[in-house]
Amino acid sequence: MVDVTASVSVFGQIRLVAGLRWRILRNSLRKKNNRLDLIGLIFTGVFSGILVLGLCFAFYAGAYASFSQDRMEWIALLFWGIFLFWQIFPLFVAGFGANFEFRALLRFPLSLRAFYIIGLAYGFVDVSALASICWLLAITAGATVAKPGVLPAMLLIVAMFMLLNVTLERLTGSWLERLLARRRTREIFLGLFVLSMISLNFLTPLMQRYGASARPAFLRLVPYFAWFPPSLAGRALAGVTSLQPAEFLLSSGLLLFFLVLFSALLWHRFAAQYRGEELSETAAPARAATRAIEATDDGPDRLSLLSPSVAAMVRKEFRYLTRNGFAYLTLLLPPLLVLIFSLNFGGRHPTVGGRGVSAEMFFPGMMAYLILILMAPAYNSFAYEGRGVQTYFTAPLRFRDVLLGKNLMLVSVLSMEIALSLAILAWRVGLPSAHMLVATCAAIIFTTVGQLTIANWSSITFPRKMEFGQMRGQRQSGMAVLVAFSSQILMGGISAVILFTGNWTGNHWLPAEAFFFLAAAALGGYFASLDALTRLAEKKKELLIEVLCR
Amino acid sequence: MPEAAIQTHKLTRTFGNLTAVDRIDLQVTAGQFFGFLGPNGAGKSTMIKILTGLLAPTSGSIQLLGVDFAANPVEIKRQIGVVPEGMGLFERLTGSEYLNFVGRMYGLDRATTQRRSEELLEFMQLADRPKTMIADYSHGMQKKLALAAAVIHGPRILFLDEPFEGVDALAAGALKALLARMTGRGTTIFLTSHVLEIVERLCSHVAIIHKGRLVAQGSLEELRAGISGQAGSKTTLEQIFLSIVGQDGTERPQLEELSWLM
Repeated sequence: MVDVTASVSVFGQIRLVAGLRWRILRNSLRKKNNRLDLIGLIFTGVFSGILVLGLCFAFYAGAYASFSQDRMEWIALLFWGIFLFWQIFPLFVAGFGANFEFRALLRFPLSLRAFYIIGLAYGFVDVSALASICWLLAITAGATVAKPGVLPAMLLIVAMFMLLNVTLERLTGSWLERLLARRRTREIFLGLFVLSMISLNFLTPLMQRYGASARPAFLRLVPYFAWFPPSLAGRALAGVTSLQPAEFLLSSGLLLFFLVLFSALLWHRFAAQYRGEELSETAAPARAATRAIEATDDGPDRLSLLSPSVAAMVRKEFRYLTRNGFAYLTLLLPPLLVLIFSLNFGGRHPTVGGRGVSAEMFFPGMMAYLILILMAPAYNSFAYEGRGVQTYFTAPLRFRDVLLGKNLMLVSVLSMEIALSLAILAWRVGLPSAHMLVATCAAIIFTTVGQLTIANWSSITFPRKMEFGQMRGQRQSGMAVLVAFSSQILMGGISAVILFTGNWTGNHWLPAEAFFFLAAAALGGYFASLDALTRLAEKKKELLIEVLCR
Repeated sequence: MPEAAIQTHKLTRTFGNLTAVDRIDLQVTAGQFFGFLGPNGAGKSTMIKILTGLLAPTSGSIQLLGVDFAANPVEIKRQIGVVPEGMGLFERLTGSEYLNFVGRMYGLDRATTQRRSEELLEFMQLADRPKTMIADYSHGMQKKLALAAAVIHGPRILFLDEPFEGVDALAAGALKALLARMTGRGTTIFLTSHVLEIVERLCSHVAIIHKGRLVAQGSLEELRAGISGQAGSKTTLEQIFLSIVGQDGTERPQLEELSWLM
């Protein structure tokens, strides 16, 4: 076949890809918001740079001390630190969304070799890789200053260690990409990730209770770590300093074995991608249905008290809630946090200080915290509607029905969460006095309903599209965040002052009475606002459609 | 005089300095299968969005079924069905759930909504994926579902923005038959499409928009006669379209400039 273009060298292709990345970044900065992002990026870059440089000094000093004092077990620890950072940090970033940008290169005439090399080159420009390379260079410098004779061996081991790390990181990333290509898996991964982060809060009480007994078991595991790449790198260098060539050869040989193994596995993965591995949702079609159509729901309509359109909205919101893995998480979080806080600060089993916080303070504090978490999504309540938002404007309904349906669903969830948290609080800390319980419940109604009115306005005025099961690139509108923050501070401030008036005046039922009055006013204001918000939605419909259909 | 289903008077919509729709006077008679054509960026989708209440006009008025849209939008929306650009689906619902939602939004009772949903899913050949979310549907399946949602309440006017794009030939045939039957029973269909053969086969009347202005309107016969100067001419819609839209000579790419491709 006659060639229509001249072939491009691998390095020429890498140069082209680098140029493409640069142009994408430059073009993305044309938008005003992205310029603000750039300022944020510069600040982050400066702070990260300071952190990386600071650690460079620490790694230099560690390597210098290790080689000058012949404490070679320390050098293995330094390698372990870098290894863990290099491998784990990208997972934190990848967990928040699937990235197919690299695979998009497959449409161009690349050889598998070029695809592999470009893939590895991509790995070297990660933040984690750049920082780790800086630290490895600092270790090399520290070791060389302490013992100049180790430089050749040091360079060899560090080069192998770098290549091994980048290969393993790309391999893990490639498998993760495959895993996260499915929305459901992405959601589960994200949920597990956030839960595991939150579970770290349980470490303090667990360590206090079981720390001493777990220590011997952990120490028994330590020798097995000697066969992993960071320890092998340390052992190879120890062989050089102690003039034991066999130890050096064995350890560096094993390091090379790991490098070859990971490279072969990565080659296998990239080859599958190169052949056109399909990762999208439609790659594995859903199993054929065994029944023709969904069973007809002939039971009584449980939402018959509501108008058909409001009931339809509530049902739709409920279905969206049950299909949003991240929403599940937000439902799970409040009771979990109540449990964590009550373990750490509660009255019966305090782990800090000698005495726990009293139920009188703990109960309203926790309720305020729950409302803070659960009300946050209400300030951008159309975030997940996508193109469906057009239905609200083509269907013959008033927008107040849409708002009512959404708010009803949120209030139901909030009530359920508060009831659950209340039960946990009663079990862990105990209930407060009757006047405080009643005042807090009335305050919940006041702050929730009051916030709903503001949140509806914010949702219509500052909409921002969000995707299910993703966190990367998912940000609320800055104004919506500001509105949420301000109104929560305002409501919280008012509630705190009113709660304290009970103590100041000596009339313990005064806060409850005040909150009932405010709750009634908030309810009146809420219903009065619905028509005004309907008119506002009509005015803002183009903005809503444009933003959410993007 | 036949009843006008859609009537606009000096309908205009601007976006900053750009006039997307410029003083359009359009008249579509009830029961017509009406094709609305124009090159890319001519203002077709803007026009359909204004007619369905998704976009407010800058000036001018709209009457649908003799009722002023601005004065009574909810009543009008009860009478119309829409397949908007991008389809407007809630992707986290299943097809059945979505149709049930839309039916209830249009005020149908539960039993009717349920029955019609099942019939429509069956007709659109979507009933065998009851648990599949719309996000996992193919583009063609989403298009069929959007069409099913647009007709579930039995609209008197149906607005379709590129309804056959991505739909396979088998389904397209069934859809065309359904649409033809609806016009036979008095439903007015307002359709935009880039596929002129489809418009020529389905539509009895056509309007052409170019750079926001309405440049032609009438029955196919009237347009043919206008171009060839004689009635009963065999001029195709594509020839009519090109002769009207390409008149200023800017629309046809100059193939001579791509000589290296040939």
